[in-house]
Amino acid sequence: MASHAHAAEHEQGHSHYPADMWVFPQSEKVAPDLVGRTVAAAPRFKMWMLIAGVLAVVGIIGFIARAATDGFDEYGPWGYYMAVFSYLFMITGAAPLVGLAFRFTKSHWRRPLSRVSELFGLLGVVNVLLFIPLLFVLPPLANPQVDHGELAVRRTLWIAGPWGAPQLWDLLGVVALAVMGLVILWLSAVPDLAGAKLAATGWRRKLYTMLACRWCGAKRQWHIQKAGLALLGGFYFMTLIFVQFLIATDYGMSLVPGWKDSIFPPLYTVISFQSSLATILIIMFILRRWGGYQEYIGVSLFWSASKILLGLTLLWTYHLWAFFITFWYGRMPVEQNILKYFLFESYGAVFAANVVFSFLLPFVSILLWNRFRKTDWGPALAGCFILVGTLAFNIRIFVGSFNAGDVYALALERVPPPVYPDLWDIFIVVGCIGLAAFVYLAAMRVFPVLSIWEVKEGALYQRMERFMKGRYLVLAKPE
Amino acid sequence: MAKRPLLGLFDSADRAADAGDALKKAGIAETDYDFLTDAPYPEGAFGERAEHHRLYIYPMIGAVLGLTSGVMLTSMTQMAFPMVQGGKPILALPPMAVICYEGTMLGAILFTIFGILFESRLPAGKLGLYDTRITQGFIGVLVHCEDAEHGKVSGILSSAGAVEVKWENARAATA
Repeated sequence: MASHAHAAEHEQGHSHYPADMWVFPQSEKVAPDLVGRTVAAAPRFKMWMLIAGVLAVVGIIGFIARAATDGFDEYGPWGYYMAVFSYLFMITGAAPLVGLAFRFTKSHWRRPLSRVSELFGLLGVVNVLLFIPLLFVLPPLANPQVDHGELAVRRTLWIAGPWGAPQLWDLLGVVALAVMGLVILWLSAVPDLAGAKLAATGWRRKLYTMLACRWCGAKRQWHIQKAGLALLGGFYFMTLIFVQFLIATDYGMSLVPGWKDSIFPPLYTVISFQSSLATILIIMFILRRWGGYQEYIGVSLFWSASKILLGLTLLWTYHLWAFFITFWYGRMPVEQNILKYFLFESYGAVFAANVVFSFLLPFVSILLWNRFRKTDWGPALAGCFILVGTLAFNIRIFVGSFNAGDVYALALERVPPPVYPDLWDIFIVVGCIGLAAFVYLAAMRVFPVLSIWEVKEGALYQRMERFMKGRYLVLAKPE
Repeated sequence: MAKRPLLGLFDSADRAADAGDALKKAGIAETDYDFLTDAPYPEGAFGERAEHHRLYIYPMIGAVLGLTSGVMLTSMTQMAFPMVQGGKPILALPPMAVICYEGTMLGAILFTIFGILFESRLPAGKLGLYDTRITQGFIGVLVHCEDAEHGKVSGILSSAGAVEVKWENARAATA
């Protein structure tokens, strides 16, 4: 018997990788299976939606209470609101780019994560809504009452003060990202919706019929779809880094007197890329482990993406070091005060948490080791650490910036004390995260969570074949 | 005489590709037939003609318009309300670049979205001749030909292995 099995293995060849490293979904079963899963939600899924919805209501209560007690005239009390907005914007703003970037580089392992990434496009609308109150709290560029030693116009990007600056231009950027995110999601999902409308009933059928726009799958349509996704992907990237630059300067640096730093906006962007990939890996892990998508999501996805996450984690460290060393060598009083404020004194504990969760824990304990990278849980666990670290980053930077004192002063002449959250701040932070989770979960009930056409396309190009004594993944690369 | 569509349905991509070859041999112009699929097949997989589009022109036009708007807005604002900040020139390029970049991006994005809708003809007025089995993996070969050729084309599609040939008025021939 044993020799028989050995002979069979010899005949078929063997693989050095676990059986679930690569998966090969059956093309004809993909559409009905994935549409069926979208339509029928498990009770556990509904429970999570309910929890997220309750948290969102808590956030609304916190927001109303904050507005009622402090109004919008002072920006200091809105520090935690800004921190959680930035946290969500970092993650959800960059998340659609994950799918687009790997599609751009023609990485075949990305196919199951494309839609998970593009669904974040819907959260662009949440970002716009959350951003609107921040337009009102931002202090004016011109000093309304110039005292001795103060600047007449505070230092920002907008020295020439073009019309509407900075609020209008910041808002336009956030809106542009939201619009692009929605169009990218629609353009990517339209072939799936054209098929899904046949299996759907009720409001879903109406919605799918409307969104499918009578797509028929002609060669020209596929051609335009791919070109359109590539173009919009490029523009999304170019707009995202620009808007992140605006947010980092207008709501961060420009509110701290004397903070001039060319490293901070790139650091902001790197953290955004790191945390968005981390979030997507966590979602992929949940879908694989508990969502019943094992046959669509292989371990190879986690293995490949974790190498990118490793690189981004190292980039985070490099940028942080570059930020620190410039100020440390500069040795000017304002630079020392900024370091003390954000890194070592006022927000020292939060900074320590930031370093531990954004770098030490994910890098040293997981991402450094190929053995852990080659699992589904390893990169997802690293992702959980990174999300905690990113929250710590946003709290220390934006709560700090919003409470750094006189915004029209020449320099940060003393180290301000830290600001701890009150009850409404906690409500706001928890609630905004809950709101984002609720919208994402709702999106998963509307759109198939995996891109059906991409999974089918992948099935055309990949199979395991024997080569000499082993079995290997054979991948067609027609482009 | 106006051409009317005819749809051959295939359960195999290879047979659909054979149908394409047969249509070509029979003298049907390549612009008169198309392949309808539920997933994108590689370019030339069916031996079809290369598709050309003008999508790349749209963002370029949008970008030029957006950049022009940005330059005009910033320069005209600064000329109308000249403010010297820290000894910098009235028309300082770095702050102008911020608005110009954003204007360029917004123009390019809007025109790209418009271009996608226009070039892919979405939303379409009507779906045209179609079969829902295409969404389940069947391949549709959609041929536009004159009424007199319907019999010949239908025969070609059936010979290539079509499981069904459909044309408007809901008439169908099943293989």
